[in-house]
Amino acid sequence: MQALRTAATGMAAQQLNVDVISNNIANMNTVGFKKQRAEFQDLLYQTIERAGAQSSDQGNVVPTGVQVGGGVKTGSVYRITEQGNMTATGGKFDVAITGRGFFQVMMPDGTIAYTRAGNFSPNNQGQLVTEDGYLIEPAITIPEDATDISISKSGQVQAIRPGQTQPEIVGNIELATFVNEAGLDAIGDNLLKESAASGAPTVAAPGIDGTGTLNQGYTEASNVDAVSEITALIVAQRAYEMNSKVITSADEMLRTASNIRS
Amino acid sequence: MDNALYVGLSRQMTLRRELDIVANNIANMDTTGFKVESLMVETEPAAPAHTAGAPRPVKFVIDRSVGRDFGQGVLRSTGATFDLGIQGDGFFRVRTADGEQFTRDGRYHMDGDGRLVTEDGAALLDEGGGEIVIDPKLGPVSIAKDGVVSQGQERLGKVGLFQFQELSVLEKVGENRFRNSSNAQPIPATESVIQQGMLEGSNVKPISEVTRMIEITRAYEAITKMMEANAELSRRSVERMGKVN
Repeated sequence: MQALRTAATGMAAQQLNVDVISNNIANMNTVGFKKQRAEFQDLLYQTIERAGAQSSDQGNVVPTGVQVGGGVKTGSVYRITEQGNMTATGGKFDVAITGRGFFQVMMPDGTIAYTRAGNFSPNNQGQLVTEDGYLIEPAITIPEDATDISISKSGQVQAIRPGQTQPEIVGNIELATFVNEAGLDAIGDNLLKESAASGAPTVAAPGIDGTGTLNQGYTEASNVDAVSEITALIVAQRAYEMNSKVITSADEMLRTASNIRS
Repeated sequence: MDNALYVGLSRQMTLRRELDIVANNIANMDTTGFKVESLMVETEPAAPAHTAGAPRPVKFVIDRSVGRDFGQGVLRSTGATFDLGIQGDGFFRVRTADGEQFTRDGRYHMDGDGRLVTEDGAALLDEGGGEIVIDPKLGPVSIAKDGVVSQGQERLGKVGLFQFQELSVLEKVGENRFRNSSNAQPIPATESVIQQGMLEGSNVKPISEVTRMIEITRAYEAITKMMEANAELSRRSVERMGKVN
């Protein structure tokens, strides 16, 4: 019976929906996290009587035909790249992006990853690194004796050293933008990788060519909205229940059929 | 006598198919732009007026067609730039590998070349059948109610919305899309409105689907009972006839 399999696809889809929602809720407080959404599509249709087929010798034509669908599948799980709120942290090396763009991170294997999480700190050599110790690209070294650091909106990192009145420029933070940000591959640790769907990165200074600007002392909060996640969770749970009802119904019909005495 | 069994069987078969369709509706309760379906059954042939003494014709149950309710689904706000919800009877036109198809599913995004495409890469077409290309450097994209796509002062095109005189020419092909199965030409849907940042949910009403499901299960039981009674009748008649002494 097709109904059994159809309802099973429905349950599987809702299960995945709950997986995605729970990941969003779990990352509600993750810096720079972008919420995801599962989207569904209907499956192929089995055409039993084709529209336009003749139903009699007199040339009568079936107006719509009979098509039975096979259920639902997950079309995609995609990231919503909406801006997250700014959280003031006061940290000198915390930088949030307002607008488009990603920080570039040099991975240990020499490839570049991208992130919106701007909670950096200097490592033991004074280089700016992410929480996992990966260098940001282009590398920026903070002088050991720097008394204060300021990062401008356009990405200039300036250090004030003792005995000097003029701040010294020690590096520039650059941002990468993509034509299709939602197409980037997430690899965990708040990092994303370029993919065929995202297109190649365009690297520019913040504020140039439509890239966002930087805010020192802030981090970007996740854009997960707790209320909408909870409502989505309720909808998913009820939809799951309804699909299981279909299975019960189909099962009952099969039992009725197999109990026929003859 | 046997006819009664066959009539019962024809009803059982259509009921099973009906449950398949209800199952598909429920599975797609949460599918963007999905349109609810129901099976239309027919008893045939048309019965002549009952005349005394004449035997009444046997009526089988036949599933004639699937009826689709193209009614508006609820628009929900998503806030995404390229989520487009249609208010009205229009359809988006997209170019797929299998030719042009129509959809109410308004989830688009930019591909690597800046074209507006569906999830599986089918390009969204404008009024004249051209693609819509966005330059991300020009800033935020706004899509007006009539479908005009613009970035700042720059007008990039107009999302095409189409409708059909007869909606029955549309055939579902999966992926939330419809195929035009006739030669009927789509006409511009001038009265439909595009809402940016919204998506149209499915128009499945869970309550009516569940009630329908209960009806189907019970009808199936009833018709099975009838068939059982019928079989019992023929068993008894064979027994009685065998007892002639």
